[in-house]
This record gives sequence, C-alpha cells and structure tokens, in this order.
Amino acid sequence: MQTEHLSQAEADEYALGVLDPEAQRAAAQHALACDECRARILDAQRLIALLALAPPVQAPPPALKRRVLRAAGARRERRWLPRLARFSPAAAGLVAVAAAVVSIAGMVSLRGQVESLRDENALLQSKVDDALSQRFEIVALTNRLSQAEASAWEAQYESQLDRDMLMAVLSPDSQTAEVIAVADGFTPVGRLIWDGQQQRLWFVASRLPKLSDGETYQLWVNVDGRYRSLGTFQPDESGFARFVRYMPEGLSRYESAVVTIERAGGSPERTGPGVFFVADLSGFR
Amino acid sequence: MAWERDPSAPGVRTYGSAGELTWGACPAAGDLAEWSDDSLMAAVVARDPAAFGVLYDRYAPLVYSTCLRVVGEPAAAEDLVQDIFVRLWQRPEAFIPARGRFVTWLLSITRNRAVDEVRSRNRRRKRELPEPEDAPFAPIATARGDDPVSLAELREEQQAVRQALAQLPPEQRRVLELAFFGGYTHQEIAARLHEPLGTVKTRIRLGMQKLRAALERLR
Repeated sequence: MQTEHLSQAEADEYALGVLDPEAQRAAAQHALACDECRARILDAQRLIALLALAPPVQAPPPALKRRVLRAAGARRERRWLPRLARFSPAAAGLVAVAAAVVSIAGMVSLRGQVESLRDENALLQSKVDDALSQRFEIVALTNRLSQAEASAWEAQYESQLDRDMLMAVLSPDSQTAEVIAVADGFTPVGRLIWDGQQQRLWFVASRLPKLSDGETYQLWVNVDGRYRSLGTFQPDESGFARFVRYMPEGLSRYESAVVTIERAGGSPERTGPGVFFVADLSGFR
Repeated sequence: MAWERDPSAPGVRTYGSAGELTWGACPAAGDLAEWSDDSLMAAVVARDPAAFGVLYDRYAPLVYSTCLRVVGEPAAAEDLVQDIFVRLWQRPEAFIPARGRFVTWLLSITRNRAVDEVRSRNRRRKRELPEPEDAPFAPIATARGDDPVSLAELREEQQAVRQALAQLPPEQRRVLELAFFGGYTHQEIAARLHEPLGTVKTRIRLGMQKLRAALERLR
C-alpha cells in the first residue's frame, strides 16, 4: 500500500482517473486509511465534476422522464382529496385529519427506517473495513511467504553450488590453480578450478577489495595471445566471490588467466589493469 | 403529503449546519421548483416523488449531455440517465451535503458512471468513442440548438467553466478533455496523441492547477 500522502497533483490524477489501474488501486487503498488524502481527493472530484458544465447542454427525450420515474418507482400520489371535497366537505375534512395522522405516523416510521438503514449501513461498512484489513493481512502474509520461498530457493541453489564445487575439487578430471595478486593493496586468497567432467569453470576468492560504483571485476583467459572474457563478478560485503560458468563454446584450453577492473557491465576488450594473475595453468592444456 | 405545499409544517427535514438531516427549520414555502437542491434532496430522503421530479427536470439535461458526450450513443446515454436517477431515488442518503454541493456530486457520479460504462464496453469490443473535435470541449451536435439549462446560477457557472477552459493552452485543454470525457489513462492519452508520457502528465498537472485557481469559488 502507498504509505506517503498523495500530492495535490496525484489526487487530481486519481479523481480524473488517468492513473494506471495499479496506481489507482494503491491511491484508493491509501485514501481509505487517510482522512487528509481522502479530503484532497474529494476536493479534486468537486473541481473535476465542473468540467461537465463546459459543453452546451442537450435535453433528453421527454419520454425519458416517465421511464425514469417508473423504473425508480417514484410516482406522484393520486390527488383524490380535492375530488372528494366536491361531494362531501365533511367527509373530506375527516379524511384530511386521518391523512394528517397517517402522514405524521408515516414520517415517524420513516425516520425509524432511515435510522435503521443507517445502522445497517454502518454495520456493513465495518464489515467492509474488516474484509479490507483481512485482505491486506493476506497480501502481507503472501509477500512474506514469497520472500521465504525465494530465500529457501536461494539457499538450496547455494547449497547445490557448494556440492558441485566440492565435486569439482575432488574430481580427477579437474585442475586447480592459485590466484596471485599482481597489484599493490590486493592480497586475495583464491583458486581457479577447471572441471572437465562438469565442463564448468570456477573462480573462488576472498579478501577482495570492494570496488567503487561503476566498476566491476572481469575474468579473462588468454588463448593464443588473445584475451577472451569469461564474465564479470562482484564480491559480497565480506570480500568473498564465487564465480562459476560453463565453458564457452570452442574453449578447450588456456594459456593464462587474469582478473582486471573494468567499468560496470564489463568491457568487450580488456582495458583495465590486471589485479590478479592465475598461476600454474599447465593442467588446463 | 401535506408538507409538500407547506414546508414549514412539523416534520419537514432540512440540513443542519453539519450537513446531517435534522428536523426543524424548513425551506421557504412555495413552488417546489424554487426549492434549493439540498431541500429537494431532503424531501427525496423523505420519499417525496414530486421533489424527485423537480430534481430530474433541473438536472436531467446536464446528466444526459455528459453521458452522451462520454458514450456517444443516445440510447446508451438514456440508459445511464435512468440508472443514475434511479440510484439517486433509491439511495439519496449517499449525498452528504457537508462534503460539497449537490450539482458537483451529481456530475461527479454521472461522469464516473459513464466512464465506467465506456470502459466496460471497451473490454468487450474496440473503443468507438466519438473522436474529440479539433476544438476541445466542442459542442455536442443538437437538433434543437437551444440550451435547456433553466437555472440562472447554473448558466453562470457554465460560463465560468467555459471561460476557464478557454484560457488554457489548447494542448492542456485537449488532454483534460481526453481524460474527462474519454476516460483515458495517462498511457492511453500519450499513445493517442503520440506524445511522451511525461509531457501528458505535465499538461494535465498544469491544466488542473489553472482550473483550480480559476474555479475556486464554484466548488
């Protein structure tokens, strides 16, 4: 639900109905719980309604009035009293008194009905409010459930990666090389693992310095004197990074590997200085 | 009912200062057609069909014209007028005087109901709204050519609204018309006018600011 107050412009947009359905719903839900914004919307509605006065007015067909009165069940009562008075003034007087009594009784009864309807309306409104708050609770629970599912899925994925990496380390078909810092201020501890069986390459390192915004680490392999990008990665808050990818098509050997710092998103060609060098790649041949 | 012709009789309802229905003071006696909207609505709450008829006579042309402008078909506009007035008769307590004038309330529900109708139709078939004319808020073609609005106050308000709109730059009038009578969203207006979304939003915001300043006294 939208938590900030609606600006006048947003209230105008809501009253005009130009917001997309999702924004319209969010504004309505907020206004339900916020007297200030509800008042702002009502004010905008009053202003906008005046636009209907702009075009010249056309009268509806005269027959429409009859149709509307009939459909509403709003008919004039028959004016029988004057006709009765022509025949018997005394009888008409009696009837008039009776009619007045009935009328007053009717008004009292009507007042009771209106009050009863108001009570009923208030009860219904409270039920609507309850239903709305239950709906919001369900939405909140659903969101929490989705987040929990996403976390569980992520944990499962990480666990699967851990197992795969362990298998890569233990596999007789895999080769491991050490990551060596070649720039000042970098003291990483890491390994590059080539897993021939799973056809995957792992780069795992810790103590990686955090980069500034707009920068990323990029892993390159040197094949026949030409650097080829294997992708970019960022360490987490503790400086740990685990980068894994399947072997690119046509790549079966490496002469060396290097990690550089490139602009965010990665570079098509190596431009940044090398910060790590991957040593002892003889096993990759 | 006796009080139809003698509104000062006990039991006549009118509105208190807080806008709630109260018993006591009454509208001026005389022809129902001279009663204020609020007094007529009080009588409608008390189930007076004559008061309902007067309200119909007073506002049916405005309601019908607005509906016709939005849906574009006389038969559909008539159905909407019927629906709106029947609801007004059945649930007159939905009008709360403390929240504003009767005419703005009625026009607001009229426009919303008409736009709902046209959007509902569009979900079933391709939109066939009457294309807004070159001149924003252009007159509806009418065989009669007359203006059936009878109340002097309403005529003055019409004049004020038209004048306020006339003072807006054409592009701001255009987006407001598409939003108000067309029931289009920001995105739909931008697509229709081939303008960036931000431009449309800015025009609506500026247009509304100017209208608010010009029409402050009418609300």
